[in-house]
Amino acid sequence: MPLLSYSQQNKLTVDSASRITVKRGAAGVTQTLNVNILPGFHVNSNQPKDEFLIPLKLTWQPGPLEAGAITYPKSEDIKVGKDVLAVFTGSFAIQTHFTARDSIASGPAVMTGKLRYQACNNEMCFRPASIDIHVPVQIE
Amino acid sequence: MRFSRSIVAVGIALGSLAFFSACSGPRSVRASAKAEKDRKPAPNFTLGDANGKSVSLADYKGQVVLLNFWATWCGPCGLEIPWFKEFEQQYKSQGFAVLGVSMDDDGWSAVKPYIAEHKINYRVLLGNDSVSQLYGGLDALPTTFIIDREGNIAYPPHVGLAGKNEYLSEIQSLLVDKPASAARHSLRPPLAALVLLAAK
Repeated sequence: MPLLSYSQQNKLTVDSASRITVKRGAAGVTQTLNVNILPGFHVNSNQPKDEFLIPLKLTWQPGPLEAGAITYPKSEDIKVGKDVLAVFTGSFAIQTHFTARDSIASGPAVMTGKLRYQACNNEMCFRPASIDIHVPVQIE
Repeated sequence: MRFSRSIVAVGIALGSLAFFSACSGPRSVRASAKAEKDRKPAPNFTLGDANGKSVSLADYKGQVVLLNFWATWCGPCGLEIPWFKEFEQQYKSQGFAVLGVSMDDDGWSAVKPYIAEHKINYRVLLGNDSVSQLYGGLDALPTTFIIDREGNIAYPPHVGLAGKNEYLSEIQSLLVDKPASAARHSLRPPLAALVLLAAK
């Protein structure tokens, strides 16, 4: 008996990732993931202030490239009731540093990952969700 | 003479109705309670509480229930919890109960510390997808249902942070109703007086 339904869909979207070119054995490249939050909503930052809150987290599956440091933007503080939350709003970028080992075969490949998030507005929260990330790669 | 007695009787009855309305506290400012005939049963479920005991919603029939779906990661849910603690304490003796259903995927490992930290004084159950589907998916939290003594959903659900006074008026309006079994066999005093006097 469905009584109501509010959708998690579209609170957060990720732009299609551009192809990156990585040279084997070189210093690597930084890939930028552009993330957009629907106006009026926020997601917890990668480092929320409350232990019970679910952080935004980007993870990469093992693939042809090695994922190094992931850099998140600076969060903003908002007040909900008495609590101050560290959140991301609007559009922002998450950067990952990738390198390619000498032993990896050259040619096209794909790196896949997941962006886990939990969105809210000032009145309600939506269940945690994940978005699959695909980054086309050219290894030289 | 008979005409003037009827006028007086109706006046007394209307005055009594106004008095009882005032005594029962503010009525809902959001939406009126659904007419009893239009209320739908709250879907029953059985879930475990923090002590491992199985609890069914049906166990609460005869009580007014505030059924709150929430999660530890939900900020607005946390804003409502102090109100619910207050309601539980204030109205428990009148046949009222708060029932919290946590929708945390991480289970009791997340919920038990939260209950302890926030000193939650009402029963909390651990929800699952089946219960979520029974109540429409529950993608947005908090979502709260006010259930009458017959086990029916008495008001449109509160989706998102609601006002404390909205909850209060809805709870109070249902608590002034007599338990289902008694209500079927008796009329409220002012209405009974009106019927008796009009019959004279």
